[in-house]
Amino acid sequence: MSSVFDFNGAPGSGWSQPKPIRKDAGKNIPESMRRNTLPRWPRASEPELVRHYTLLSQRNFGIDTGFYPLGSCTMKHNPRINERIVQMPGIDRIHPLQPDSQVQGLLAIYYEMQDMLSICAGMDSVTLQPVAGAQGEFTAIRCIQEYHNSNGESNRNKVIVPDSAHGTNPASAAMCGYEIVEIPSGTDGRLDLQALRAAVDGDTAAMMITNPSTLGVFEPEIAEAARIVHEAGGQMYYDGANFNAILGKTDPGRMGFDAVHYNLHKTFSQPHGGGGPGSGPIGVKSHLAKYLPSPIAARRARTEEDPRGAGDGFWYFWEEPECSIGKVQQWNGNAGAVVRAWAFYRRYGRDLERMSEHAVLNANYLRHRIMRDHDDSSTLVMPKDGAPSEVVKHEFTLDMTPLKDATGVTAKDVAKRLLDYGYMAPTLYFPQIVPECLMLEPTETESKDVLDKFADDFLSILSEDPEIVKNAPHTTPVRRVDEVLAARQLILRHPCE
Amino acid sequence: MDQLPNLGRELEMLSEMGMSSIDELFADIPEDVRRNDSLPLPPPQSEEQILADAQRLLGANIHLDSRPSFISAGLARNFVPTMVPMLATRGEFLTSYTPYQPEVSQGMLQAMWEFQTMVSELVALPVANVSMYDASTAAAEAITCAVRVRSKRSSQPNTVYVSEFVPPHRMSVIKNYTQGVEIDIKILPHRVDGTLDLDAAKAANDSCAVYVEQPNAFGSMDEGLMSLRSIIGEKTALIVGVDVVSLGLMEAPGNWGADIVVGEGQPFGIGPTAGGPIYGIFACTKDYLRLMPGRIVGQSLDADGKIAYTLTLSTREQHIRRHRATSNICSNETLIALMGAMHMSLLGPEGLERLALRVTAATQTALESVVSIGGVELIHPELPVFREFAVRLPCSSRETLDLMDSKGVMGGFDLSRWWGSMGDCLLIGCDERTTKEDIESLTSALALSISEVRS
Repeated sequence: MSSVFDFNGAPGSGWSQPKPIRKDAGKNIPESMRRNTLPRWPRASEPELVRHYTLLSQRNFGIDTGFYPLGSCTMKHNPRINERIVQMPGIDRIHPLQPDSQVQGLLAIYYEMQDMLSICAGMDSVTLQPVAGAQGEFTAIRCIQEYHNSNGESNRNKVIVPDSAHGTNPASAAMCGYEIVEIPSGTDGRLDLQALRAAVDGDTAAMMITNPSTLGVFEPEIAEAARIVHEAGGQMYYDGANFNAILGKTDPGRMGFDAVHYNLHKTFSQPHGGGGPGSGPIGVKSHLAKYLPSPIAARRARTEEDPRGAGDGFWYFWEEPECSIGKVQQWNGNAGAVVRAWAFYRRYGRDLERMSEHAVLNANYLRHRIMRDHDDSSTLVMPKDGAPSEVVKHEFTLDMTPLKDATGVTAKDVAKRLLDYGYMAPTLYFPQIVPECLMLEPTETESKDVLDKFADDFLSILSEDPEIVKNAPHTTPVRRVDEVLAARQLILRHPCE
Repeated sequence: MDQLPNLGRELEMLSEMGMSSIDELFADIPEDVRRNDSLPLPPPQSEEQILADAQRLLGANIHLDSRPSFISAGLARNFVPTMVPMLATRGEFLTSYTPYQPEVSQGMLQAMWEFQTMVSELVALPVANVSMYDASTAAAEAITCAVRVRSKRSSQPNTVYVSEFVPPHRMSVIKNYTQGVEIDIKILPHRVDGTLDLDAAKAANDSCAVYVEQPNAFGSMDEGLMSLRSIIGEKTALIVGVDVVSLGLMEAPGNWGADIVVGEGQPFGIGPTAGGPIYGIFACTKDYLRLMPGRIVGQSLDADGKIAYTLTLSTREQHIRRHRATSNICSNETLIALMGAMHMSLLGPEGLERLALRVTAATQTALESVVSIGGVELIHPELPVFREFAVRLPCSSRETLDLMDSKGVMGGFDLSRWWGSMGDCLLIGCDERTTKEDIESLTSALALSISEVRS
């Protein structure tokens, strides 16, 4: 398809705007600082561009176009009211430095979200400032670092992560200057307490772990793990990427965690937008609250002297935590994502538990349909469980080794073949502890009919002619893309010639 | 609750699995960590009720378009073309994930490759990524990137020099991102006239990097920055933070020696949105490519030899390199960058120039009008400005702003919130939509408020 740089109309023929408010505009800037040649951007009209971007969108797969069982990413439906609300001038046309009196409604939403997220995770304080899960991890580890420093324990220089952890965990801790201690999982894929006991010592600053794990199974010994880390003086950090599995059923506070991040773009329906924006608030127990980034939404009872408020009897204001680490994003986080997540949470309220129930129901059902519904003739190519367990939580892993051994068809080939059937591929080769891994997370917003059809299609791929699968996809806008060539030739922009 | 297609079909699905209750699915959660009561939250609402509450709450905010507004401080009260949100929220874009499967993600990949090109052209550097979280994290990660590339061969390892006229919130982000990896941040002073002290800048010679902004926190532009390259030496990374719109008029930093250019992309693509989601731009020379943060799209071929796009250089990233990654960034601001690309395409080269002229015309007109008020002085009268300018009042800026607010004018930003010693200073910001009438309202409200504060 053509490039946007193919549009090259007459100079100034495109989208129009008013003239500057004075004739000598720009004369205040010395010639010696001015640029001589303008950037070679396209010269296009609105009709041309509307068609260009519409055609591009048609070459892109989203939840709206089909089932998206991408494990660890919680690709649930994004309600459209979210988009309607964030177009309102009361959010789109707000500046983060406006005085509190002008943003009472926004502060009220921030306060409600902080409160709700605290309740759901069993934490005492929440900041909405981090704008992605990885930034939430970084922020929480920074708070833990300040906590240790202020206790005179800056010698604690190690962070423990299981080998099944998301890559962002070790990357975030390393950005804070920590040495990473990776502990191996047990043979069943679960946390190995022996390995943990051997890893903790007086240098342990924190342990970072997600539960359910990246295998989609609940870590039954999590409370004991927390005791081991706490006894050594370390802090427990909960990676909230898999929070969709447990809302209302348990929470990180009960499991013994001190800090947690949330992914509003996973659990609370902020759209993923092709890679972002996200929002990664963090919650902490009271002993870490004074280190949170600034500011946090706070409130008190409204008095007669206050100007008009949000209409609920409170006066809201921004507050700086006592020993705040400062800023991790330059303003107050991705407010638009916070407002979308607020609209989503309001839809469930106290019934958020139903959301997790259905996410887990769908994951177990799909696993059952794939793993149990096959006749004996196909067993040779059937995947194995990534981790043995009676039930899974919101996601599960498949080990595709039997198929590879029998036919040479890899997990990646199956993933690519699924694209031909109109599905997004599952997460591939993660967690790395499962060989030939596919990780599937159907989310709560897929119907039984979709899951049934997907399971049937998935199983039929296993018995297809291996050559067809190895050369998949066949029906997508482009065929398999040469990633090695991309990295070798490094054509990272249009030549604009 | 209307988001669950299988509501009412639970038993049917459970029984296929040989179960009879949802509770069996959660039997693996040990009793001692299980929650047995309901979440103490309000009851569920319908879409209608949520919309009504949103209208009530967000309607209680006073938005920038409801009155003359002169608050900017790094964000723009811009005009976003109608096409932009309408097309960017097409479900195929909006509800997609990071394009790990290029065969079904060519739309976003191509759009991001085109975005990289537009940013590259704007700043005159060969490489750009598909966005950082904002201008501040872009600046912070530019610094850590420069240290990774330069530290081993520098006579001042782990040392970076930063202009003292970088806004404090950005300095705070920079400090958070650099403290753990033990980067020493030294401050580059400015002279009384506001220009960077080029003599003092000699100290940065053969350090890892220098970070300056054009325009700076006060909206001032400093021609001296364009000679920094010769002062700091060839081996020191020159990182420049820009106002992206200003580059419709100003020489691109890539043409005066910058190695990395960062900035707030927000003026292209999205409203100020209470501070986010916005996006940071990040562009650099090829020397920094393999150690830069963020996602990068490259052109390739598919199995049939057709041109195709894919994410590339992923071995820098956390999902592969884990704790040795160049950054922890994973989710970024792709959708907002897409909106930026749409806006930039609509503007075109001449539209960008006109946009910059509109902003500078409004800024200059407001400046001339405001300094005509007795007792109001520019803090750096010698320097040209873009989008913003800082003035010293004959009285408290906070009290003056409160009074202007009561007259229906958002008069600017009280600089004492950034620097305690600037309690009588005001940062006044303009944009392409600032009208002559707005400026008249600003000037009369400011003059009247000053006399009220002083009386």
